[in-house]
Amino acid sequence: MKEKTRSAKASSLKLDIASYVFVGIIVVFTVYPIIYTLIGAFKSNAELTLGSSFFPKEWHPENFYTAFIRANFLQYFVNSVLISVAVMILAVITTSLAGYVFSRREFVGKKLWSTLYTGLMFIALGSVTLYPTYTMLAKLGINKILLGLILTLLGAQLSNVMLVRGFINGIPRELDEAALLDGCNPFQIYWKIILPLIRPIIAVVALFSFRTAWNDYITTLVFSISMPTLRTLTVAVVQLRYSANAAAEWHIMLAGAAISIVPILIVYAFCHKQFIGGLTAGAVKG
Amino acid sequence: MKVISEKKERQAVLKPSSARRWQHIKDNLITYAMFAPNLIMFLAFSLYPVLWTLKYVFYRYSGFGATQPVFVGLSNLIRVFQDQVFWKAVRNTFVYAGGKVLIVLPISFLLAVILNKQRRVNGTLQSLVFTPTIMSSAVMGLVFYLLFNVYNGQINKILTGTGLVSQNINWLGKENAMKTLILVAVWGAIGNYMVYFIAGLQQISKEALESACLDGANPLQTMWHITLPMMGPVLKTILMLAITAAFSDMNSVMVLTEGGPVNSTMTMALYGYSFFFSVSESSTITPQYGYGAAVSFVSACIAGIVTVVYLKLAARLDDIY
Repeated sequence: MKEKTRSAKASSLKLDIASYVFVGIIVVFTVYPIIYTLIGAFKSNAELTLGSSFFPKEWHPENFYTAFIRANFLQYFVNSVLISVAVMILAVITTSLAGYVFSRREFVGKKLWSTLYTGLMFIALGSVTLYPTYTMLAKLGINKILLGLILTLLGAQLSNVMLVRGFINGIPRELDEAALLDGCNPFQIYWKIILPLIRPIIAVVALFSFRTAWNDYITTLVFSISMPTLRTLTVAVVQLRYSANAAAEWHIMLAGAAISIVPILIVYAFCHKQFIGGLTAGAVKG
Repeated sequence: MKVISEKKERQAVLKPSSARRWQHIKDNLITYAMFAPNLIMFLAFSLYPVLWTLKYVFYRYSGFGATQPVFVGLSNLIRVFQDQVFWKAVRNTFVYAGGKVLIVLPISFLLAVILNKQRRVNGTLQSLVFTPTIMSSAVMGLVFYLLFNVYNGQINKILTGTGLVSQNINWLGKENAMKTLILVAVWGAIGNYMVYFIAGLQQISKEALESACLDGANPLQTMWHITLPMMGPVLKTILMLAITAAFSDMNSVMVLTEGGPVNSTMTMALYGYSFFFSVSESSTITPQYGYGAAVSFVSACIAGIVTVVYLKLAARLDDIY
């Protein structure tokens, strides 16, 4: 009997070691490109293309300076921040209101909108829809300013609306019925009762919409083709690939990439629990 | 649907006194005022583009200002079905989606099983594996473009330096480009699906696992006889999410290969896009909005059919259980 438990222990230890070797390989695989970017940003172009050592032989922090000044990254950085923060704030306001209305209110046409919202979540036309959107904004005269891009990136936030609705469904209705008896109107119930209770899901919506706007490539690219001043960091960095002497500018590309990923990495460092928890809040319910 | 709900509302409104009726109207107004910001965004940025695309499936149109749209009936759709490049893109999309899903899900599942145990280090490891999920796939596409460069890329240097391969591999050449894209997609998706699986694992009752352990089942037996069967419903949802996501991926394809070389990595999403906007800075296009709309429409239908077929198959699997 003793013999058996000992061998069971030994085999479970072996399994443990094998497991963590596997995890280790995957962690190296996932983290390597990120570390390569952050460290490569300090290398000279010659060392990046010809050398093969992991750490730079000489550190070149001036790569960042070159990227900021010559590639005009300061303006793109400001654009990125303005756009992402605006999208985040607007997403929180619109989705929390719509989620509340769908979860708690009875109103004329509710069934119709609810059906359309869920239906359109499953129509995957992709980025083709950018063309009609862009021409519509052109007719309104807001396709060449940040506002047009912000509204397009904001969109209807369909999945976030559903996320908030699901979260509010889980809050007992007695709370707002009591407030109704006290004479609160629907907006006051939302403002005083619901909003304080849905903070966790609001944080998720905020993080996810910020991330999506910060990382967006195609929408911003389409808007900035005719209006380069609308570029964000993400677009500006990727466009370096197409610049005339791209072959000689690996160090600038990596410095740019580092500048664009460091802010989101910092956000992640503080909020990784919300990011990971938020992913599963609405997605997997069996 | 709208008519029915309006009728109900009217019946509800007719009975009570005028004060109640006024209250009802006021509540509806406030509700719509609260709903309006999102509803306007929905009408302008979700519904309108879809209706526009459906309309132009039946038109020939090359851009505003240039020519007037001409109604051409089904000819755009017929052209899609005869378009060799489109069907190549369909094939590529299936290879890409299939490859990505088949590689990602087993790895993510194993990671989830290992890292689900309550250990402090597991939380950190989860966060590390999840990191690619928060990054821009376009920016990382650029980084991978440098890493996979034939002559100067770090990957080839490591492989030749350690003697694993004798010759530089042309990662983005015609032979390997699709495999490289799948590898990059796997990189970006592992953490995502690991977290989905962990959420699923946490729904499995602790008692079932403990009693299996008390009955003397070893970890592998527990996984095979308890964990996997109990994960069935969750697995169904995850697989569905994985398939739909893989069909719409476009950023990394656009940045890494632009669909090339010679359309070997052209996907449905990128092909539709290419009739509206130029795929790279260097290429110029003659826009064909009507045809592009038709390509996107057929692509969306194919993705829809795949989803429905999958759901049917999954339901049949449930019956067998």
